[in-house]
Amino acid sequence: MLLNHLKLSFRNLWKNRTLSFLNLLGLSIGIGSVLTLMFSVYAYYVADSMIPEQEHIYYLKTHLNDGNDYNEVVYPLLDKIKNTSPEVKAGTHLHGWGDVWLEAGDKEFQNTTTYADPEFFKVFGLPLKYGNHNTAFKEKYSIVLTDKVSKQFFGEENPVGKSLKAADTLNLTITAVLEPISPYSSFRLGVLLPNTLLKDNPIFKQQTNWNNSFSPIFLKLNPETDIALFEKKVDKLVQENYADPSVISRMEVMPHSEVRMDSIPVVEIIIAGNIATSFFVLLLVLVNLLNLNTSTMFRRTKDIAVRKILGGNSKGVITQFCLENGILVLFSILISSVLFFGFLLPKMNDVFGADFGEINFSLKNDYPVILGAIVLGILVTLVVGILPTLRFVSLPVSQGIKGKIDSAKGSFILRNSFIILQFSIAILFICIAIILNSQIGFMKKADLGFERDHVIVGNIDLDYKNMDAANSSFKGLLNDLEANPYVTYVSTSQSVPSDYYFNYTTFYDPNTEADVRFRRSYTDDGYLKTLQIPLIEGRDFDSDIDNGEETPVIINRSAMEAFGWTTIEGKRLKYKNSDFIGNPIVGVMKDFHYQDLQNAVEPLVHYYRDEENLAKHRYLTVRVVDGKEKEIKNIIAAAFAKIDSRKNYAQGDLSDKVSGQYRLIDGMLKTVNVVALLTIFISCLGMFGLISFMAKRRIKEIGIRKVLGAGVLKIVVLLSKDYIILVGIGALIAFPIAWYMMSAWLGSFAYSISIQWWMFALAGSIAFFITAFTLGIQAIKSAMANPVKSLRTE
Amino acid sequence: MLLQLKNIFKWVQQGGQRVFLLKDINLEVEEGEFISIMGPSGSGKSTLLNVIGMLDTFDEGEYGFLSESVHTLKEKYRSNLYKEYIGFVFQSYHLLDDLTVEENLEMPLLYKKIKSSERKALVADMLDRFNIVGKKDLFPTQLSGGQQQLVGVARALIGKPKLILADEPTGNLNSQQSEEIMELFKKLNEEDGVTIIQVTHSEKNAEYGSRIINLLDGRKI
Repeated sequence: MLLNHLKLSFRNLWKNRTLSFLNLLGLSIGIGSVLTLMFSVYAYYVADSMIPEQEHIYYLKTHLNDGNDYNEVVYPLLDKIKNTSPEVKAGTHLHGWGDVWLEAGDKEFQNTTTYADPEFFKVFGLPLKYGNHNTAFKEKYSIVLTDKVSKQFFGEENPVGKSLKAADTLNLTITAVLEPISPYSSFRLGVLLPNTLLKDNPIFKQQTNWNNSFSPIFLKLNPETDIALFEKKVDKLVQENYADPSVISRMEVMPHSEVRMDSIPVVEIIIAGNIATSFFVLLLVLVNLLNLNTSTMFRRTKDIAVRKILGGNSKGVITQFCLENGILVLFSILISSVLFFGFLLPKMNDVFGADFGEINFSLKNDYPVILGAIVLGILVTLVVGILPTLRFVSLPVSQGIKGKIDSAKGSFILRNSFIILQFSIAILFICIAIILNSQIGFMKKADLGFERDHVIVGNIDLDYKNMDAANSSFKGLLNDLEANPYVTYVSTSQSVPSDYYFNYTTFYDPNTEADVRFRRSYTDDGYLKTLQIPLIEGRDFDSDIDNGEETPVIINRSAMEAFGWTTIEGKRLKYKNSDFIGNPIVGVMKDFHYQDLQNAVEPLVHYYRDEENLAKHRYLTVRVVDGKEKEIKNIIAAAFAKIDSRKNYAQGDLSDKVSGQYRLIDGMLKTVNVVALLTIFISCLGMFGLISFMAKRRIKEIGIRKVLGAGVLKIVVLLSKDYIILVGIGALIAFPIAWYMMSAWLGSFAYSISIQWWMFALAGSIAFFITAFTLGIQAIKSAMANPVKSLRTE
Repeated sequence: MLLQLKNIFKWVQQGGQRVFLLKDINLEVEEGEFISIMGPSGSGKSTLLNVIGMLDTFDEGEYGFLSESVHTLKEKYRSNLYKEYIGFVFQSYHLLDDLTVEENLEMPLLYKKIKSSERKALVADMLDRFNIVGKKDLFPTQLSGGQQQLVGVARALIGKPKLILADEPTGNLNSQQSEEIMELFKKLNEEDGVTIIQVTHSEKNAEYGSRIINLLDGRKI
């Protein structure tokens, strides 16, 4: 019997092969996308599960009076908390201090370097591949490697006990190797060093005061700890000990599970988006199959009745139908896995890998995803196999045999609401895609306050082996460039737009009593000219007069406004509670967008720094005559090829660097575009199947109408009209939702487009035309049919 | 006695009024009879046939089939009863379009859970008897109307029913084809002793039967 069912299933699928193929296509792409999205969600949720007792780990968040917040705290706070709070079982700093170059034999690599307290493993009991938690940070000159770094240096060997030379001078003993860490984890580790190593570093000593917040701290608390009470305690410590506690509104004790959201805020949106998208796509696929299957069932009412007369029962009919759908689902799962591994996963890593790290599928760890897909497949099969049959199996045989079923209003409404739902979702995604496109286009083309074209940006932070030799070669290059007729301006600086450091310094004006948080950078006297940033007041830096004892600064307009000044005449940039008389402010520049347009232009200060000081600058920027970019690039690259350094010189165009800021949003856009296409495709698929079935059911009606003189156009309109109305209703539902969602999203941008009516009109039109096209094909076919033939079929 | 209908009424409610489809039908059928039901369109012929075939219910009266009283039986037993003893032949054949001739014949046996080897034998037998061995791998749509009806009759017979119900079996056939089918019925009735009840419009076809029942507006006349 089963064999018979199987044979019949294949025959049925083959008989309706166009429909089966479309179904298979929609299902495969749908399941493939859901698999990809859900896999990334799954990877995200399990990424931190390797941290034991994560629920007892907390970190501190500092809220400022001006509404800003950050996770860094001053260095001595941790010891203070530990000494006064018995509920703290262990605590550690976790911060960078420059990434060190490590050497073993002839191999030399630089990796993300994180400094931690000896208690690190008491807080984070990360599983170790080699070594043990107790001895890992016992000695000052020890180093813990991640699995990746260990493989980089030593392959599959156990490196514990071996030594690495750091920065050409320090011998570090490897004490432990961590198990591989998921790229979606909150840890971005390369190597871990004990911060006891830094204790003698003079700059480090200088920074570890009650003034400078540069390291987050992580605490493991007793499970019984009352967090609210502990928070008050920390708050009190902060108010008592901080050099300037007045800017701080409160301290918050945050559970460690929040830390990932904190570090990359869009993660939340992306994960929520992934879940919502998977849900919608799945719903769409399901609804589609239900719809098509219900239609097929109508055609089979007679079959079912005949089978019943011949002795069959409803169980057989359901089995048969489930089997047909099961075959479809099974094949589409197979096809979607091919899609997933061969195309979607690599594509996703392309899009998001740079920001989140690449994820790979391993059967050992990720088998729940496969199980999930199978369970999902079975559920889908059961739902789409059983639901549509229910109404038909209970139909009296004497009615079924006539091939007629009472066209109850119920199913009609149900099917129509399915179509509306589908098109609402599809149109929603089209709206999102259009608005996202406009916003990204706006951000990429917006006036940034500087000229981004024809500017070469070279990274000159290359870890030179011989600083003096490098400096003199660099000086030679600068002279060559300045003499070159195709070079208009040359500049060196610590930062370029799109890459300003996130270090904030608070300055104070005793007259207006304003505290203003500044971003800061160092530039030479050619920076504003090279980028063509206009000055509003004062003068640009000038190497002839600015190389004196005082370092002059230029601030931006926002900074001036934040201080409440109308002029900078005689103003200096001062710290609060400090004897330092401050840096003279020599100029005010226009607010240019030194970061992406998601963020507002914050107060910014440029300190003057000598152009030729290679060690203290990170970027070389060169404005060249249009068309000569390549030539100049070659000259610079040739010069750097002669300088001995650990890193290779790399350069590019400023315009690319600026657009590169939107890589992540671009990635989201690509995803949304694909999803929008997918949803409209799947919806149309369903529509196509439905109308072809409807046309078949109305074949007699069409015949009669034609005999009575209706033209082809009239029939086409007759068949399509209802569906177009449904699409319209779908659009009306989708528009306000899209408007609400996208307004909220655009609100997170400091500079955003306003949503225009034409965006909705465009989305509606796209949906309308695709639908009309789909409907048209089928409707015209039915309308052209010869009435003599169609009337005879009864 | 094969079956007995006593005071059968069937009606539908239409606009608050009872419209009678069958009115006070009394009928006794002996095994081996060949009965033709005649009457104008809408007189209740097909309804009567469906009631006899247990495909349709009735609102009042008693129906005895062999020793069972059908009106007291549950749906499940009723369907077991007709599966066992009744074969149906339809005006528009009602073959399953997705199945070949051979598979169409096999279908009722599958539902009776007969073993594969036995099924094959019975089907081969039937193909042979109706001279359609050459057509066994064709689909119904590839056959002429007469051939389709031949398969329809073969399918009705394969379960060895005591009774065949035929609803205008020649309605879609030309005169030569219908003559063949009627000859077949006659042969089945005479040689195999199968009881046949047919609904027909044609006087000529009615002549094949041993008894004619005339209906008008749901009433036997």
